[in-house]
Amino acid sequence: MTDTTKTPTPENTAPATTAPRGPLPLPTAAARALLLAGGLATLASTFLAWTWTSEFPGDLTVYGYPGGLQWLTFTAGLLTTLFTLASYQVRGLRWLLPAGNNTPLLLTAVGAFGVTWFTILAIAIELGGLVNLEPGGWIAAVASLLPLLGALALPPATATSGTGSTGGTKETIKAYVAKPEHIPAAQPLNGWAQRLIITAVTALGLAVFTYGIDTEYGELFIGYLIVVVFAVWALHTAGLLDRFSRLVAANRGFTLAMGFAAAIAFPFTQTDDHYANIGVNILIFGTVALGLNIVVGLAGLLDLGYVAFLGVGAYTAALVSGSEFSKFSGVQFPFWAAALTGMAASLVFGVLIGAPTLRLRGDYLAIVTLGFGEIFRIAVNNMDGQSGPDVTNGPNGIPSIPDLKLFGFNFGNPHDLGGFTLGRFANYYLLMVLIMAIVVLVYTRAADSRIGRSWIAIREDETAATAMGINGFRVKLIAFALGASLAGLAGTVSAHVTYSVVPTPYQFAGSTPPNSAFLLAAVVLGGMGTVAGPLLGAALLYLLPEKLDFLQDKSLLAFGIALILLMRFRPEGIIANRRRQLEFHETGQLDIPDTPTLTGEPAVTTKAGA
Amino acid sequence: MNTLPQQLANGLLLGSMYGLIAIGYTMVYGIVQLINFAHGEIFMTGAFGALTVYAYILPHGTSMWAAVPLMLIGGAIVAVLVAVGAERFAYRPLRQAPRLAPLITAIGLSLALQEVVRNFYPGADKARSFPSLDTTHDLGAVTIKDADIFLIIAAIVCMSSLAYFVRKSRTGRAMQATAQDPDTAQLMGIDTNRIIVIAFAIGGLFAAVAAVSYGLKYGNVDYRMGFLMGLKAFTAAVLGGIGNIYGAMLGGVVLGIAETLASAYINNIPGMQQLGGQSWANVWAFCLLILVLLLRPQGLLGERVADRA
Repeated sequence: MTDTTKTPTPENTAPATTAPRGPLPLPTAAARALLLAGGLATLASTFLAWTWTSEFPGDLTVYGYPGGLQWLTFTAGLLTTLFTLASYQVRGLRWLLPAGNNTPLLLTAVGAFGVTWFTILAIAIELGGLVNLEPGGWIAAVASLLPLLGALALPPATATSGTGSTGGTKETIKAYVAKPEHIPAAQPLNGWAQRLIITAVTALGLAVFTYGIDTEYGELFIGYLIVVVFAVWALHTAGLLDRFSRLVAANRGFTLAMGFAAAIAFPFTQTDDHYANIGVNILIFGTVALGLNIVVGLAGLLDLGYVAFLGVGAYTAALVSGSEFSKFSGVQFPFWAAALTGMAASLVFGVLIGAPTLRLRGDYLAIVTLGFGEIFRIAVNNMDGQSGPDVTNGPNGIPSIPDLKLFGFNFGNPHDLGGFTLGRFANYYLLMVLIMAIVVLVYTRAADSRIGRSWIAIREDETAATAMGINGFRVKLIAFALGASLAGLAGTVSAHVTYSVVPTPYQFAGSTPPNSAFLLAAVVLGGMGTVAGPLLGAALLYLLPEKLDFLQDKSLLAFGIALILLMRFRPEGIIANRRRQLEFHETGQLDIPDTPTLTGEPAVTTKAGA
Repeated sequence: MNTLPQQLANGLLLGSMYGLIAIGYTMVYGIVQLINFAHGEIFMTGAFGALTVYAYILPHGTSMWAAVPLMLIGGAIVAVLVAVGAERFAYRPLRQAPRLAPLITAIGLSLALQEVVRNFYPGADKARSFPSLDTTHDLGAVTIKDADIFLIIAAIVCMSSLAYFVRKSRTGRAMQATAQDPDTAQLMGIDTNRIIVIAFAIGGLFAAVAAVSYGLKYGNVDYRMGFLMGLKAFTAAVLGGIGNIYGAMLGGVVLGIAETLASAYINNIPGMQQLGGQSWANVWAFCLLILVLLLRPQGLLGERVADRA
């Protein structure tokens, strides 16, 4: 509308000869040098002592090698240095910056700055004053500031220079953290090199993840989050993640196998069964989130009582587990039968709830499932023989559930395997990996099938889908029932892992996972409609309250606000499903091909023209 | 006091409270087809707004005749501000988004409001006592409290003035037009954004009235009170036919009476001896919701077919 009547203003005609610059007035060469020098100085500073007392967790008092949080600064500094060297076109590192943009430099510099200053401030605050810093700490603080200054003096690669700096600060920041629109395709690699890269990345991923789980104190976990977030963001804006996902797409089966190999390898890297316990809880949480993702992400049905299906599975398994506190204490099903019973019970409830409500607008389902979750909580709390039938033992739950035995393998005892000792939780962890594999298989196969496509069609536009001959009600009921039974399956294992089932975890909202609000948050945060998204979301949402115990009280508040902000600013979640992303941001841009068109401009199809 | 007339009176009172809250769901739904899940929490903030007036602003020992109107005003200000703020900052940016987005926002908002009150309102992590009107009156078969009289009068006044407002006033008719067809209404010169804000504000106002009645009746308020009340009020709105303001009130009353009767008499049915009592009342309320959705999804007074995609 406005474009047609626009007359050239002095700003538009201003000479575009001035070289694009960042906000800080420094020549580009000096800025780059500052980045490199700062990066190297940051690396060097981690070998110094930052504080004099070992009261601060992690050993930051030694000269000669990094410790604790210094390792994180080291990593971030290393990344900054590597990216800077790549921007110097150093041979062998050029692949780090395929698009040649400056954004990754800035992001890694911010990461290094953030983690270093966080450490310094944490030392000063926890030990009471800046006097607790050794010279090394001051050096680190200054050294990590230099790359940030350097990066801010570099022009953002995507700057639309020439129009002057008319854009507000919002625009400037956007230009700084934007991913370049076009990333040159990598030169083709042969098969084994591709697989080698995938293997290396998987191993790296496992190492990073394991480090995160093994962090022993809150400060280290915060530092870890700072470094990981900025590093991944930098890799994303550098275009390396896009390249990697292309590799993955070409070797889908191999990547999946590597992923599971990494998941299986996790307990072997752990010496303490406590971390395997965290691992198994994340897996249970993740599996249930993935089941919910079928319902929410694929079929677009909002299920707010999903954790109740987990509860149905867990209670069913507990009742037939042979626990002496169970109503049917004489009955002890073998695991496969208990798992099937738990799934069947959840399925029955899923159909009972779904059948009346799925005929209606989706909002009704949300509220009915919310009601069902509440009914479940009330019912198990009251079925203690006093204020209701005697089934679930009320608020005391069903304790002392015996450990599983499969083929003579007792899950409760530690086992030695090739020099590694696998504790109780490690055993269950491996069982959960198996169940997770089943769920992932069900998820991917279902999503690619005729039914999966019907789910997506229903989600996008129910009226149109019905007009195309899809039986909306039937398809939705299948999604709902499938989701319910997968949750029931996960519930049967979780009953055995936790020794007892009690009503408290199975409510709508609570400060520890799993509960329906956390499950939903995991799916939404991770990315609806993807496999990796809910798993990542579940891991994050489990680790955050677990590691940051000072957050305990405020975690639900933080999640509530995070959900609102997510829906407002990034509704597709961390790992975006391509289709979802287009759906949420109807910018009119469809897929842009990799190869430039004849004019050198990326092909842009407007929605109206499509 | 477990006679049938008494139970009916209890149900009617409970139901009027559900109805007042249900108005908020039904008006917003009627106009923007959005279920404002956070409405129960708006009710809860209204209660805490009223409590603030009583506990921190009014001098100690103010007569209840003076305190109750001021508490109503305080509760209304807080609830209306929260409702309008939610519309402006959480829902309006998502009006064109896929319909899952506002629902998830509403969940987030509801959690956030609960947690804000729990964390930052003094003493709100446990139930806080609220001034109650406990004087009882014996009317033959039925005994009621002062708080019940307040509730009944408030419900009647609110409902009749709402009915008058929607039917007769210019804004009310603009509301009806927007509910029928927002696009055409806009073409006719109606500021639909303003109408939506008004719908949220009226919902907040009625929720505040219900919240004050709740406090006066039960004598305490807590940060979780909005969750179940909101859920039941939504049930009432669906029961009466969502989008219909008379339906909301009727649904509330039906639900209240059904719930009260179920908790009082269901244990007389052979085989269900242990399923009576207050703890199971919520279960029966939701069973009623599922039953209604199964048999009459458009609700008792439903006007629109309930499956708009």
